[in-house]
Amino acid sequence: MSDVILQAKNLRKEFGGLVAVSDVSLDIQQGSLHSIIGPNGAGKTTFFNLISGKYRPTSGQVIFQGHDITHMPLHQRIHKGMGRSFQITNIFPNLTVLENVRLAVQAISDKTFNFWRSAAYFDGFIERATYVLSLVGLEKEINLPANLLPHGGKRKLELAMLLAPDPAILLLDEPTAGMASEQVPELIDTINAVRQQENKTIVMIEHNMNVVMGISDRISVMNMGEMLAEGSPSEIAGNSVVQEVYLGQLYDDVDEMAARGGPA
Amino acid sequence: MAQTRPISANAPARSANAQNVSFVASLRENWLYWLILIVLVLFPFIIGWLSGDSPFGTPRGDRMVMRGESVYAQSVLINIFALSVLVMSYNLMFGFTGVISFGHALFFGLGGYLMGIILEFGGMDPNIGLIVALVVVLVVTGILGFIVGIVSLRLRGIYFAIFTLAIAEMGWLFFRGLSITNGEDGLNVASLPEWLDPARNRIMVYYVGLALFVLTFVLIRRLVNSPVGSVFQAIRENEERAQVLGYNTLHYKLFSITVAGMLAGLAGMLLAIMNKEARPEILNVSVTVDALLMTIIGGVGTFTGPVIGASGLHLLDTFLREAVVTIGPITIDIGERWTLILGFIFVLVVLIFPYGMVGTWQRLRMRFKRSK
Ligand SMILES: Nc1ncnc2c1ncn2[C@@H]1O[C@H](COP(=O)(O)OP(=O)(O)OP(=O)(O)O)[C@@H](O)[C@H]1O
Ligand SMILES: [Mg+2]
Repeated sequence: MSDVILQAKNLRKEFGGLVAVSDVSLDIQQGSLHSIIGPNGAGKTTFFNLISGKYRPTSGQVIFQGHDITHMPLHQRIHKGMGRSFQITNIFPNLTVLENVRLAVQAISDKTFNFWRSAAYFDGFIERATYVLSLVGLEKEINLPANLLPHGGKRKLELAMLLAPDPAILLLDEPTAGMASEQVPELIDTINAVRQQENKTIVMIEHNMNVVMGISDRISVMNMGEMLAEGSPSEIAGNSVVQEVYLGQLYDDVDEMAARGGPA
Repeated sequence: MAQTRPISANAPARSANAQNVSFVASLRENWLYWLILIVLVLFPFIIGWLSGDSPFGTPRGDRMVMRGESVYAQSVLINIFALSVLVMSYNLMFGFTGVISFGHALFFGLGGYLMGIILEFGGMDPNIGLIVALVVVLVVTGILGFIVGIVSLRLRGIYFAIFTLAIAEMGWLFFRGLSITNGEDGLNVASLPEWLDPARNRIMVYYVGLALFVLTFVLIRRLVNSPVGSVFQAIRENEERAQVLGYNTLHYKLFSITVAGMLAGLAGMLLAIMNKEARPEILNVSVTVDALLMTIIGGVGTFTGPVIGASGLHLLDTFLREAVVTIGPITIDIGERWTLILGFIFVLVVLIFPYGMVGTWQRLRMRFKRSK
């Protein structure tokens, strides 16, 4: 289990004068759950945007399954087996829950550019979408317009949209963001179940320390655009630099975290 | 272990029996559309029968003169067909794909002008000229739609809208100044084939218009319900998300804009046949604004909304514009205040039907179904 599936090499992103990501290198092992933690503005989401192709890096490379994908357009990376979710809920609000996921299945099929048959005719799409929705526990809500789901349901829907095309790697940007604290364990269970059943590699940005310590194989700590430390959960918990720079700051952030709805 | 399922898009094998069942089901679902189609097919004869005027016009000597209620009603409907096709095509782009353009009049106008120029100056047999015009209009509006679509890669939202407005205004200025089409006076299209001349054989123009109208309606419905159409709607809802799902959204927008442009070109041809002329006004931005208003009034992103919006406004325009209403001692000349009244109607409709007539009705029905 020591294959590297995803590799960031000296990735750098500057916005004007601001260095959001500063020469970050990171190896993600096949099949692992690798968490990235760090205070607000550390550059975590920007790092994801570089990997998933939303932004071009100022310099550096992204290697995925042995191929340099630094300059590959966003939509092609999905076809190569990369999936990502967003910190802020990002769905198709006026389409049904099923249609949201069906679109995700259709996207990687070769039957996509059909403009004459009814979409409902391709029941392979619907079958797969229904299956994935049952994985995340949304099977009862499939005909509801997505914007009528409660917040926790929307986060699950995102997870389903992510899983639908069966990606090799999942990039989750704060999957519990904005959730009521009592809903968090349920979503974490779902992520864990998916991970075990489908044997996925998961990279997860997460603010919630309890969550991270419990389920991660490895943790990377980011601060001010740099990777500060990397190690197993116990190594990170015991790392004095990390405690000083990040954990101290985090515990000052208790109020802010409560406002986000996460458990302090 | 990895429980990865192959993702297939297998079409189900359907037995002949299942097909019969689905035909009956479709008949039950679409009975209103079929009924409307039958009424529209018989319409010239129904009006003829009600009024006693022949649907073919009034004979004078050895030819027909286009007089009488039926022929007049046909002309109103031909205009509605042309407008509806224009508005449906606008709705494909705006209502279903979320692309806002202010340049749709350019495609509409090109349809009329290209046909007029080819028929008047092509020196061909009118029938052949008409076929050539049809091909040229489809090719030119298609290519133009494609080019405009490419620009949507760089420009988004309001910037794209302004770009399309600029292009369309250039087209308007160009044809206003073009001397071979008589500039502001417009080009008379006299060389139509006799079978399609609205001054001799209006009922044929009526059926050609009806065919275009029905084909456009069916085409857009199938397209929107297809896998490609579902991506159109995904782009409308959230384009970035569609990209992150793995769709090259540019391809889909190009397709939508190109098809919409070609349909608008056909609508322009139909109107030019009916009016037997192409005037610069058909290129004016007000045509696009009308299409936008009709879409909004009828229901953005619905199938029947554009038709209801186009018919409603055109009928009001036809029957109220000239009217002079006398209530007791007060006499109101509606024509004089027409724009004001139209604006008032628009505000009223938007307030009562925030999602357009059809859209609001659909939402109410859905809410009612859920609460049951
Ligand atoms: N598109 C952008 N343009 C300019 N600056 C940006 C852009 N995106 C991010 N930044 C800046 O880059 C820095 C890193 O932001 P980023 O969103 O990556 O942080 P983060 O670690 O995800 O924080 P959070 O925990 O709040 O989500 C911030 O200072 C942010 O303001
Ligand atoms: Mg972030």
